[in-house]
Amino acid sequence: MIIEALLAFTFAAALLVFAVPNRYAHKLAFGLSLVPIVGSLYMWSAFEAGGNALTGGQIAFETVAPWLEVAGYQLQWYVGVDGISLPLVVLTTFLTALAIMSAWTPIDDRQSQFYGLMLLMEANLIGVFTALDFFLWFVFWEAVLVPMYFLIGVWGGPRRKYAAIKFFVYTNIASLVMFIAFMALVFSLPVDSFGLPEITQSLAAGELTAFYGLPAETLALVVFAAMFVGFAVKVPVVPVHTWLPDAHVEAPTPASVMLAGVLLKMGTYALLRFNFTMLPEQASAFAIPIGIIAVVSVIYGAMLALAQTDLKRIVAYSSVSSMGYVILGLIAFTEFGMGGATFQMVAHGLISGLMFMAVGVIYNATHTRIVDDMSGLADRMPVAVWILVAGAFAYMGLPLMAGFAGEFFIFVGSFGSTALPYAPVFTALAMFGIVIVAGYLLLAMQRTLFGPFRLETDYELTRAPMHDIAPLVALLGAIVLLGVAPSLFFDMILDATVPILELGGGL
Amino acid sequence: MVTAFDYVPAIVLLPFVSFVVALFIGKQLPKKGAYGGIAATAGSLLLSLWVLASVAGGGAHQETYWTWAEGVGSQPFTLEFGALIDPLSALMLVIVTLIATLVHVFSLGYMNDEGERDLPRYYAGLGLFTASMLGFVIADNLLMAFMFFELVGLCSFLLIGFHFREPGPPSAAKKAFLVTRFGDYFLLVGVVAVFATFGTAAFAGAESFPALAEGALDGTVDVWTPGGLDTMTWFTVVGLLVLGGVIGKSAQFPLHTWLPDAMEGPTPVSALIHAATMVAAGVYLVARMYGFYALTPTTLGIIALVGGFTALFAATMGLVKEELKQVLAYSTISQYGYMMLALGSGGYVAAVFHLTTHAFFKALLFLGAGSVIIAMHHNENMWDMGGLKNKMPVTYWTFLAGSLALAGIFPFAGFWSKDEILYEALIHAGSEPLLFAGYAMGLLAVPVTAFYTFRMVFLTFHGNARSEIARNPEPVRWNVKGPLSVLGALAVVTGGINMVPVQKVLGIEGIDYLHLWLDNHWGGIEGLSSHHYAEIDPYSSTYPFGTEVATVLAGAAISLALAVAGLLLAWKLYNVAEPVEHTDKLGGAKTLLYNNYYQDEFQVWLADRTRGVSGGADTFDQGVVDGVVNGVSSVSLFGGDRIKRIQTGVVGNYALLLTVSLTALLVVFALLGGWF
Repeated sequence: MIIEALLAFTFAAALLVFAVPNRYAHKLAFGLSLVPIVGSLYMWSAFEAGGNALTGGQIAFETVAPWLEVAGYQLQWYVGVDGISLPLVVLTTFLTALAIMSAWTPIDDRQSQFYGLMLLMEANLIGVFTALDFFLWFVFWEAVLVPMYFLIGVWGGPRRKYAAIKFFVYTNIASLVMFIAFMALVFSLPVDSFGLPEITQSLAAGELTAFYGLPAETLALVVFAAMFVGFAVKVPVVPVHTWLPDAHVEAPTPASVMLAGVLLKMGTYALLRFNFTMLPEQASAFAIPIGIIAVVSVIYGAMLALAQTDLKRIVAYSSVSSMGYVILGLIAFTEFGMGGATFQMVAHGLISGLMFMAVGVIYNATHTRIVDDMSGLADRMPVAVWILVAGAFAYMGLPLMAGFAGEFFIFVGSFGSTALPYAPVFTALAMFGIVIVAGYLLLAMQRTLFGPFRLETDYELTRAPMHDIAPLVALLGAIVLLGVAPSLFFDMILDATVPILELGGGL
Repeated sequence: MVTAFDYVPAIVLLPFVSFVVALFIGKQLPKKGAYGGIAATAGSLLLSLWVLASVAGGGAHQETYWTWAEGVGSQPFTLEFGALIDPLSALMLVIVTLIATLVHVFSLGYMNDEGERDLPRYYAGLGLFTASMLGFVIADNLLMAFMFFELVGLCSFLLIGFHFREPGPPSAAKKAFLVTRFGDYFLLVGVVAVFATFGTAAFAGAESFPALAEGALDGTVDVWTPGGLDTMTWFTVVGLLVLGGVIGKSAQFPLHTWLPDAMEGPTPVSALIHAATMVAAGVYLVARMYGFYALTPTTLGIIALVGGFTALFAATMGLVKEELKQVLAYSTISQYGYMMLALGSGGYVAAVFHLTTHAFFKALLFLGAGSVIIAMHHNENMWDMGGLKNKMPVTYWTFLAGSLALAGIFPFAGFWSKDEILYEALIHAGSEPLLFAGYAMGLLAVPVTAFYTFRMVFLTFHGNARSEIARNPEPVRWNVKGPLSVLGALAVVTGGINMVPVQKVLGIEGIDYLHLWLDNHWGGIEGLSSHHYAEIDPYSSTYPFGTEVATVLAGAAISLALAVAGLLLAWKLYNVAEPVEHTDKLGGAKTLLYNNYYQDEFQVWLADRTRGVSGGADTFDQGVVDGVVNGVSSVSLFGGDRIKRIQTGVVGNYALLLTVSLTALLVVFALLGGWF
């Protein structure tokens, strides 16, 4: 019942915050957001590994209750976690609280609505990562878009309406494609519910039948491709990534933190759960195109980041690059590849969250994000700047920080992959991303943080306030902790990803 | 029973604690963290000496401390942190901790006494730098080595860019990290390839990757190779990939360009980087996994060629520099080239020997340069110096000892180690003619080295003072003179640890201590001995001057004669009251050398091109990729706008549309259904 309690509390907290006056909203929302952290940490400590939730492993904190019956299919309230979803639940609760804290300075308008939406989004995200019934999952999946749409559209920058609508329409159309494909899959299976484990196990047992004249094999390929496209937009990968920089640049800092930190992981999480767990053989059939998408996302995303002059755009494009690594890890179909990809979701969530927050702190003080407008900031706001430097090195994959662990696991996993032809070549090409990422981050840092002090905007630059620094320190601590002891999550992740390999994708 | 080996983690952790202390409470401490750093590194030094004594007493040690991550099924990789203490790492621990301690003491004079700002950050950086290097030295597997290798890179970034308020240092720091990162990319691919191939990255033991590679070449072990590649070819590729990182960190051609720029860092940091930490890390890594390199002749040949070429190439650039630290920077590149030449020529012991002697005399020269820089109020131009000899005798005499060692003059430390390197290349050239090229370049670099070294000594210390500051230099204190004296003594006597020529010529057995040391004579780990490496490397010895003794004597005589010739030429040209820049006579060649063969320009050009490409990619992304997205949206909006005009609100129009549509549908159905 802990998951229900978590969801109920977060929804209730959101409603409560909507109701209170603006001046209390921040402190109340932050206080309330600490409770889900306790809940998720309790889940983490009480969690006992038991395989993959979809392939027949033991599901932790499981509850099943019938909900509706539609056209002979049972829709259920079905929630639970395994080693893949639990780290993401912890990430969600942790990052939401810190994002709320970081909102103190930038959000000075309609606070109760802002924080209410943040908590509402958290509740839906927890739902996405815990739901095990497709319908329930899809409700949460779509509901996440609504708070984010408003967060960008109301509190965003000058082009917020364009960015919000682009974000909403682009990802929603993608969801539609995925939804249709998944329905076709379910209707061709002898199942009587939308329970994801049941569907997965039915597919694994080879029970897929022809659909409107489409043979089962072809159907599986078509469904795989459609779902891949649907989720790829959310990740995002090249070439369906262009909503991301616009959304990030316009979004207020806390929303950017959530967008890069958790919302992108919905895409990779869904790819892992649906495409790679349910249709592993089809994934192997598409291995080369997916490998190409992964490598292009890494290199092309990094090249785009190199060309930017807005700090936030740099970080935004680098997310495209980092998500490319996740795709590479997934398609490798090896223990360290898949496990590393899942670990990288958490690691990138923390690191990109830190980067967006730190850039936000600088923006709060300077009111500009343009690289050419400033230099030598390290002289005036040393603590914030050095934390940003630490975050940048984490992004570059500095050992003993979480990013290195995720990336190394992916590389070591994919290099010897048998599922991906020419795996060493793909891996070596993708790895070149670690040079480009160092290039653009070091260049941006040299120009903005170091050198003689100069600021083109008319603001008196002072040290960042404590409440801006505290969430940065917390994130940095978590990044180092996971970098030194990745096993905190990696062991449970392996426990849930290894059963996927036994389904046949790994050959 | 408590042994020295129980304290190995403390050797790494002490400087790390000093980093944490300086970072958080450095401001409140007297001397801003310097004392903590000195205490920590001195503690590490004492523990390292104890470890060294324990290894000499027959011990060796392998221990796993921390399992970082572990596979469970089809990829049973165990990624862990552990220590490997054998003669090589024990020696290196002592070198690193000794230099680090002296650098900390020297910093009191160079940083505290000069009233620098942000000292806690400086001492925190030094502490982390030392800790990272020590972690790298004790690493018992390639992954752990890589991780600390990267941390060393981070620390170099932080320390080279220490004076971040000026434009130069941040740029140099970025370049150092980026160029070495480029090398590390290949190293990381190599690490991943080692795991994929062998399933382990351990350095020592029967299940280590060098041992498995040996087995695979013998056909007794099966390993994975990509696409069923032949094992020898694949091992060569893996060896070259790892070598990429070595070339970056040890500043070998063509990734040497970061090192001269790194002179922007405070001088004690330069001493640490060049003598004992970052640059040494590359060569140490090759020595650490020499059991793997010795198996692949092609890799060895390439190492020797790169090394020999770098030794000569960098030495020529040192000829024309005007700044004291620039000369030293190019000499570092050149000297590490010698070590690479030694490793490529099968001279494992010679390389470690030169690593040791170079650590002492190069730290000495940098700290001596630091002393001169204090005296000259941070003016580094040698043409503004002159005549400092009598004003700062301690600095002069120790600097002279270091210079004689660097130039390879008998009987200073550098003579013995450089001679052994050339000897190894010469005697093995019979079985691998490529080594002749390496030998020739190494030999040619000898007079060049002696010349630029003494050009530097004479310009700085001899002749008349050429500026007001040089006439009244600022005095330096004990904290500068102390470290110089220790290192000066070491630069004179360190050659004594490995008197191979004396042993061979005079027939005195047992004075080649370093050979015995690295051959596990007192203690060590099986498979990690110079003997074993000599067995598996592809070389055999031939003596071009008849007997072994004749070759030893002739080789030493040739290199010594060349060194003396270089020295004398410098003496003649620059040891005068008012020296002039004789290298101007080189004309265009000087411009070429002064501009470092335009290597930097080439790399800047490359970086600019990359940014150009990225700009193109951005335009493409905005215009085409996002253009399609916006295009779809525009078309939809436009279409919607047109279609909505059907909704006129006039009932008659709707009735007409209904009727027409129904008729059209009926006609279509009728045609398809074949009603007619």
